[in-house]
Amino acid sequence: MDFELTEEQRLFQETAQQVAEKEITPIAERVDESGQFPRETIAQLGELGFMGVAVPQEYGGAGADTVCYVLALEEISRACASHGVIMSVNNSLYCEPVLRFGMEEQKRRFLAPVASGKSMGCFCLSEPGAGSDAANQQTTARREGDWYVLNGTKNFITNGNEADYAIVFATVNKALKHKGICAFAVERGTPGFTVAHLEKKLGIRGSSCAQLTFDNCRVSAENLLGKEGEGFKIALATLDGGRIGIAAQAVGIARAALEASRDYSKQRIQFGKPIAANQAIQFMLADMATEIDAARLLTLNAALLKDRGLRHTKESSMAKLYASEVAMRASIKGVQIFGGYGYMMDYPAQRFMRDAKITEIYEGTSEVQRMVIASALLS
Amino acid sequence: MHTIVCIKQIIDPEIPADQFKLDASTKRQVRGGLSLVISAYDQNALEVALQLREKVGGKVTALCLGESGAMGAIKTALGMAVDEGVLVSDPPLLESDPFGVVHILAKAIQKIGVPDLVLTGCVSGDTGDKVMGPLIAEELGLPCVTFVSKVEVKDGKALVRRIVEDGYELVEAAFPLVVSIISDDSNVPRYSKLKDIMVAAKKQVPTWKTADLGLDGERVGAGAARLQMRDVSIPERDSKCEILDGETPEERAERLALRLRELKVI
Repeated sequence: MDFELTEEQRLFQETAQQVAEKEITPIAERVDESGQFPRETIAQLGELGFMGVAVPQEYGGAGADTVCYVLALEEISRACASHGVIMSVNNSLYCEPVLRFGMEEQKRRFLAPVASGKSMGCFCLSEPGAGSDAANQQTTARREGDWYVLNGTKNFITNGNEADYAIVFATVNKALKHKGICAFAVERGTPGFTVAHLEKKLGIRGSSCAQLTFDNCRVSAENLLGKEGEGFKIALATLDGGRIGIAAQAVGIARAALEASRDYSKQRIQFGKPIAANQAIQFMLADMATEIDAARLLTLNAALLKDRGLRHTKESSMAKLYASEVAMRASIKGVQIFGGYGYMMDYPAQRFMRDAKITEIYEGTSEVQRMVIASALLS
Repeated sequence: MHTIVCIKQIIDPEIPADQFKLDASTKRQVRGGLSLVISAYDQNALEVALQLREKVGGKVTALCLGESGAMGAIKTALGMAVDEGVLVSDPPLLESDPFGVVHILAKAIQKIGVPDLVLTGCVSGDTGDKVMGPLIAEELGLPCVTFVSKVEVKDGKALVRRIVEDGYELVEAAFPLVVSIISDDSNVPRYSKLKDIMVAAKKQVPTWKTADLGLDGERVGAGAARLQMRDVSIPERDSKCEILDGETPEERAERLALRLRELKVI
């Protein structure tokens, strides 16, 4: 692996740092507290190209690679994990499958507006009864001539309240199990497509998490991504990339926890000296920093494999599994280092801990990642 | 309209104070692995140039004298959508005093081709020098307007907004001219668009050395320096905390205001 960043990767990182530091960090606490979707800053990220980082410029994206995406996403997530997940879903879970599996006309219609940041996308796989068991899709797609009629409920859809376009998975025949699943690009405003409910969450509170319903929602056959029955393959391939994004988000959250803890430990005086002078604190900081570096390397490794067009299912799962658990451990240590203040809402340590938890759950729980890794090892 | 913007790469002023170090022998800041940025007012100058290009067309060239790593500053400027960049980098040249630097930059500007407009930051972000604009103008024999926030073109002439105490002056000047730029709400530097970064990263930037510029050897380098830095030190900061009492918020605010006035802060 080549650890030296290219000129464009360095500039991406530099720009993401600037935008994160000047525009996002100052509002992160307010976004968390209010639970309001940060429209202005997301629009600004869109204008700058952060919503379609790895999409070619001809389809409205920045035309960069996955490593650039990962570097940028870490910086944005370090400032605010809500911004991180909004960016991650738009890039990894919406743009990526349309780019990879869409026909030319579909890319013009469904990719360009979203990759350019003018519109937003979401990914509708989870259902009330289909979480880790994603193949158990109950949403149906009934073929009627040149149309499909969708019926069903999608759960926990990030960006679901704001998305102008959704990739919706539905089965044409439940008996076919995963081979009956199809992927559709569905435009907001299509009759029968409704935002039914918004969830209240522990963390990443600035991003929306919606329940979407499809009630006799008629979608043109032109909106089918890939072929009929290829939906599950599209979902899994998409999640291989998505997990790299969540790993980067987790590294960003962990870094935020480490940096806040380091700074606090240098200025918090107890027993006449900064608590950073205590070996107990030093060891916690050392463990956090070491694990974060390891998590970043796993994430960059998965990103590099993806950029080289190599299989990265196992490596993406490893990065996501490890980085998310590092984020959790680091943020818990952060609360501990902050002591009583860490438990208070006035300090950011608690926010990092609440934000970190979801990274162990969405886009495949830690348990699912272990299943994926073990499956690759034993196959 | 061709604008050349002179930019300088400096240590990021936002780094924690405890990371800032001085080399006792050279009397210069120790760069080490510290984050480097384009000097703040030079960033404002880039923004002014880009806004001018958007209005009247033409091109913008970023010119930088620095270590080889200063290519990063040029690339950052290109990422902001500057058209071209030139780096002047030769270790002996970096020992020059401001008079030597001006001679080098002026020679580089002449080699590029004297443009309609040369912009500099009004103050160097690391040394605090305010001489670049006027001295470059002197060297090139051009008029100069200093501490300017905005440049417009009207009837073929430059109309510049020069910031003065309690207001501004509108100054008309003929091209070509040199303008030093101050920061203002109208020239907040833009962020690079990611697609522009992709272009910037691939763009070829020439690096010029002493031999490329036809420099007067008696005016550049350590030996020619007319200014000597005798001593430099990091100011000691002493912070004290004072708690002001008061029954009501209004009372506390009044006491705070009176105390700040007593301390001559307000």
